[in-house]
Amino acid sequence: MEEVIWVEVLSRHRDVATRHRCTGAEIRIGRGYDNDVVIDDAHVARAHVRIARDEDGALFAEDLGSANGMFTDRGRKRLRRIRLDGESVFRIGNTMLRVREAGHPVAPERPFKRNLHRWTLAGVLGATALAIEIAWLWLSETGEPKLTHYVSPLFISSLLVLAWTAGWSILSRIFAGEARFERHLVIALAGLLAYSLYDEIAAFAAYSLSSYTIASHQGVASWILLAGASFFHLRAIGPSRLKLKAAAVAALAAAVIILQALNQSEIQETFGQEAALRRLMPPMLRLAPVKDTAAFAQDVEALRRTLDRDRREPPSQPVLGSLFAVDQD
Amino acid sequence: MTPVRTRLPVLLRGPLVAAAVLIACPPEPAPAQPVPSVPPLAAVSSAAERIYDSARPRLLQIRTLLAAAGRQSSIGSGFLVSRDGLALTNYHVVSQFALEPANYRLEYTMADSTRGALELLAIDLANDLAVVRLDRGSDMFFELDERGPDTPLAKGERLYSMGNPLNLGFTIVEGTFNGLVDNSYIERVLFSGAINPGMSGGPAVTAQGRVAGINVAKRTDGELVSFLVPARFAAALLDRARDVAAPSATELRAEIGRQLTIWQASLYKAVAEIELRISAFGPYEAAESAAPWFTCWARTNAGQAPEPRAVINTTTCHSDTRLFISGDLSTGMIQLHHSHYRSVDLNAFQFAAFISQNDRPPWMGGWRSKWYTRQRCHEDFVAVSHADPHPPLRLVWCARAYREFEGLFDVSVVAVTQDRSDEALVSRLAMQAVTHENAIALTNRFLDALRWKK
Repeated sequence: MEEVIWVEVLSRHRDVATRHRCTGAEIRIGRGYDNDVVIDDAHVARAHVRIARDEDGALFAEDLGSANGMFTDRGRKRLRRIRLDGESVFRIGNTMLRVREAGHPVAPERPFKRNLHRWTLAGVLGATALAIEIAWLWLSETGEPKLTHYVSPLFISSLLVLAWTAGWSILSRIFAGEARFERHLVIALAGLLAYSLYDEIAAFAAYSLSSYTIASHQGVASWILLAGASFFHLRAIGPSRLKLKAAAVAALAAAVIILQALNQSEIQETFGQEAALRRLMPPMLRLAPVKDTAAFAQDVEALRRTLDRDRREPPSQPVLGSLFAVDQD
Repeated sequence: MTPVRTRLPVLLRGPLVAAAVLIACPPEPAPAQPVPSVPPLAAVSSAAERIYDSARPRLLQIRTLLAAAGRQSSIGSGFLVSRDGLALTNYHVVSQFALEPANYRLEYTMADSTRGALELLAIDLANDLAVVRLDRGSDMFFELDERGPDTPLAKGERLYSMGNPLNLGFTIVEGTFNGLVDNSYIERVLFSGAINPGMSGGPAVTAQGRVAGINVAKRTDGELVSFLVPARFAAALLDRARDVAAPSATELRAEIGRQLTIWQASLYKAVAEIELRISAFGPYEAAESAAPWFTCWARTNAGQAPEPRAVINTTTCHSDTRLFISGDLSTGMIQLHHSHYRSVDLNAFQFAAFISQNDRPPWMGGWRSKWYTRQRCHEDFVAVSHADPHPPLRLVWCARAYREFEGLFDVSVVAVTQDRSDEALVSRLAMQAVTHENAIALTNRFLDALRWKK
């Protein structure tokens, strides 16, 4: 029986674009119609490469003297001859090629399964986020309760989650070949849930502990959550080069956070600082100790010293100046 | 009350304050309505005729000119009070020059159209007075009537106010003396006569031609309700101004700061010496000042429809101690505000959210960085005593400093009682242009009076 060898032309994402069934001791690849595999790539020579077996019976690719040469997948060094193991990819012109024998192992058959568990998870996450939002809206309700007070924000956030998920699904479809909608939905809902939990916990902590570190970093936290979600979305699209993806997402988030912090400090510089606690809670939730007036007066005395220092500074100093200014005192 | 000058100063915030307007005059003339001529009637107002005739060479129009453009930026009046060319006017007429002598200069115009330069010698911020010196002497000048509050003029006695309203020419206005303004921290004569913008700093004289007061302000929410600075304050300032050299720009600024500090010290001393009036607010009681120069108003949301889910009863008191510093800075007020919140059908969380929505933390605004530093706040849970009779409080202290006036701050304090989930008292105390020590002292006094009802 004649040996069958498959020559696969890969897409940029290393998916198989076309597959050519070849027989014979030697396979010739190039742009000319006298080849076994014809490649429509202007940077490929008329007769570019030949596939054959060496003395050990292993497959190799050999450059037939093309102008542009032959390279390994991501290699920059021009090679005359490359050994092929069924996994390695080589490049001629702009075309990626892979060669496999008939005996190349394939993964076992994957049983048909519905992604029911993902939909369930998405349902649970969505319902929890919804419940938290509704509870929070109800605890903030101080006027006549109206259905639209609850429905409108929930509708808008659902719409946003859907749009976000759809965006990632489209990217997924483009780069991974399948939409993976339910996977992206789970990630988006988990992100939303984390954010609303954080939001509420921050509000409670600010009051109970009389500490504003959590509440005042809300911007930072939301960007970190967004970056985290984006990373998982990227991972869902393709598991390759995770470190690079993480680094890119982290760098982007860091840039946004720095920009926001700069903007915040500029606003504070111009408009002054407001009281940090925006929302009171029921007094029974207070955990922080009660100070006496003398201790409070001491804290306020420190405030006075800061203001006396502010007094000596020229009005509305530019932000960068204040960031890098050397303290004169 | 508000002084009378060209640019009307920003009125007090809040609907509760009936404002008086400073009377200096806008440069833009309003179109005059033609008045049909009336045949002259002999001796209708011979006193006014006689008084104006003798006052005419002693009256001045005082203009503040933008130095670079040589154009007027505000107009007021003044009058001669000494042979060597000293004249009196309002501080608010010359405030632009007092604060920025590099950008402005002062000029006088007399009834006979002679003009000349003015030097600013002395100011009295609290009484809104200034002494200027003309570039020449004058044989004719006004005598001051230095009577104190113990020997006042008779109520109803005729006074003649003079000045140059709205840059239309010197006028004389008849009106009546109506004693000192009741319940006022700043001593002012109530004059029932028409004072108009531009007449600020002009004299109001008795039938004998002696100056009883200096035109300063009027109320815009009434008719012929005008105010004069009693002449004895002018006499005191004049004594200080004789034989002094014109102060430099830095000296003037320092003087304004010094006077503001002194003024503030005596105001807070007066507040401290006057007892507190304790009022009940639901289960709590809190203090208001019993000083007569605090005006208090109350309001409630109980009558609103649909019925509010928490009832708020609010009392607001403010002192009538506003001091004009410049067209964009009036200061010196004390405001006190108690709101009693009681939940009708809100749960503990909703009630807390309701208070947060209706009683925002102090926010004094940060856009006027010319006068103020940025606002800074400190907040915590505080209790005056850990047992009865003081409830625990959520206390926020926000302050900003005056750039020009060393040691002075605007301070705003908010206390919210933290002992019940369906009832609370929110007390706010706002103090303008106050030293840190005075602010702490007054705050402590008010916090100490915030108690559970016995």
